[in-house]
Amino acid sequence: MSAPGAPRRLADVTTEPAWLRRLLIAVALAFLTLFLFVPLVAVFVEALKKGVDVYLAAIVEPDALAAIRLTLLAAAISVPLNLAFGVAAAWSIAKFEFRGKNVLLTLIDLPFSVSPVITGLVFVLVFGLQGWLGEWLRDHDLKIIFALPGIVIATIFITLPFVARELIPLMQAQGIEQEEAARVLGAGGWQIFRRVTLPNVQWALLYGVILCNARAMGEFGAVSVVSGHIRGQTNTMPLHIEILYNEYQFAAAFAVASLLAGLALVTLALKYFVERRVAASARAVAGPRL
Amino acid sequence: MSIEVRHLNKRFGATVVCDDLSLDIPAGQLVALLGPSGSGKTTLLRMIAGLEVPDSGTVLFHGEDTTGADVRERGVGFVFQHYALFGHMTVFENVAFGLRVRPKAVRPGEAAIRAKVAELLALVQLDRLADRYPHQLSGGQRQRIALARALAVEPKVLLLDEPFGALDARVRRELRRWLRRLHEEMHVTSVFVTHDQEEAMEVADRIVLMNHGRIEQDGPPDEVYDHPASPFVLQFLGDVNLFRGGAQALGGEGGADPRTAYVRPHELQVVATAEPGSVPVVFVQALTVGPNTRLEFRRHDDDSYVDVEVTRAEWLALRDRLAMKPGARAFLLPRRVTRFTSEDVDPAAMI
Repeated sequence: MSAPGAPRRLADVTTEPAWLRRLLIAVALAFLTLFLFVPLVAVFVEALKKGVDVYLAAIVEPDALAAIRLTLLAAAISVPLNLAFGVAAAWSIAKFEFRGKNVLLTLIDLPFSVSPVITGLVFVLVFGLQGWLGEWLRDHDLKIIFALPGIVIATIFITLPFVARELIPLMQAQGIEQEEAARVLGAGGWQIFRRVTLPNVQWALLYGVILCNARAMGEFGAVSVVSGHIRGQTNTMPLHIEILYNEYQFAAAFAVASLLAGLALVTLALKYFVERRVAASARAVAGPRL
Repeated sequence: MSIEVRHLNKRFGATVVCDDLSLDIPAGQLVALLGPSGSGKTTLLRMIAGLEVPDSGTVLFHGEDTTGADVRERGVGFVFQHYALFGHMTVFENVAFGLRVRPKAVRPGEAAIRAKVAELLALVQLDRLADRYPHQLSGGQRQRIALARALAVEPKVLLLDEPFGALDARVRRELRRWLRRLHEEMHVTSVFVTHDQEEAMEVADRIVLMNHGRIEQDGPPDEVYDHPASPFVLQFLGDVNLFRGGAQALGGEGGADPRTAYVRPHELQVVATAEPGSVPVVFVQALTVGPNTRLEFRRHDDDSYVDVEVTRAEWLALRDRLAMKPGARAFLLPRRVTRFTSEDVDPAAMI
């Protein structure tokens, strides 16, 4: 360390001592290893413990396939609906002034603050046989609880905030000047949305959809209450895993779990990529204001 | 196309932003809406554009009532202070936007769009930047692109909201001159909002001075400068010295005249001996900025400060002739004094 000079000394006074930095990094890494990395590895190790054949058998088993199908179906319905809702909510909150705006903003966050089990119970109370709409639904031969509609409704509720939450801050920061400019130039509402607003938020929107999808496929609590756990019919992947686990079929449970874990890894990779694009487009959009 | 504004009123909550505004802008004129922030000038411009809906009153384009017409149908070009360029589009696509969003029946073909955009980019002298994105341009370039974009739809009226407000001084001056030339070429009726009196004086055919949602004065730049209608206008258009109390000394009207007299710094002469109408002062200091020197004096009688502006050469001559050192005595003789008959001066408007 024979390099005195001003820059070196300046660095010394503005950062912590080397030992402290190393200690903090070590603590953080140890924590991440223990709570994230080890469990992730454990999932795959346990899944493949009894060989690849058992692993594959657990996945192609009819009940498992049914669970995978149901999970994909529920996500395929609820994610687009939440995409539409999220865009509409963000658009109205960011671009218009209206009474009750703050109430709407708070309500959007409600699914984050309510325990998913409560969410499930609420839907059972409303749509269940003993519930408010139970009789009417039964008379009209509509089945919501213990069926796909219930699962979709619960999933939509749980994943409601993701898209809207991503879009609102960005759209608020962007303001309405570009939309006004487009309007003066003769663009109609839909043209403004498609040509100006949407391109300005596209990456944030994709980011919200990715998070929304990950949560939709992984949701356990609320779906558990409304699904009824009917094997091969109303079991989603997380519910299927729980049943296998409770029946001591650990290898099978971990095999299905490894699919969800794989999904999580793909989501993280996508998230990383999209986050960089969000940052890049935020710079590009913010640029003209500087 | 001419613009007529009749009895426009607008309030935001309890704040009156536009108070019974009426204004006639003949076709082809370049008008500046000048005023301090909060004077309602931007709101007036936005109501003319149709971006803001007036509480009452009418806006007529070429004698036709357009108050209820949608922004899209008004045929105005609007330039925003912060450019509002579409960040995800190239410069070319930004300028082409107004043509591309037209209904199919009146939308020009691709070749016509290309030709039109190329022509506009040449007009704003930025044809080499067609493939760039707005964030790659400087502020002045962005504002010129914004102008080209507004002109692409061949507006009958061009509205500019503090178009040079976000630019640095040198670029501003350049763009002002350029806007003036552009207007001479195109002769499209133009209204621009500014809080910079110099900008308004330099660019506009006519200045509309606004304060507290009202029009204080309306006329050609020279007229509003030489014959201000109110103390507010006088003060807003340039520095001015106030002579209260001792005002009778100025102009030698005799008797105690309680009214305030106003004299601009460059309309005061520094003299060595008392003359009719002169005011005795003590020299405080001289500040030279560029070609002019600002002399600061303190009055004997009420200790108020008086500024005098002279050219640098005049100051050097004066210093030698009168031995001007801090504390030196001298007399100030106004060449021109402005008084207002109704002296209900709003102290807040003086700032």
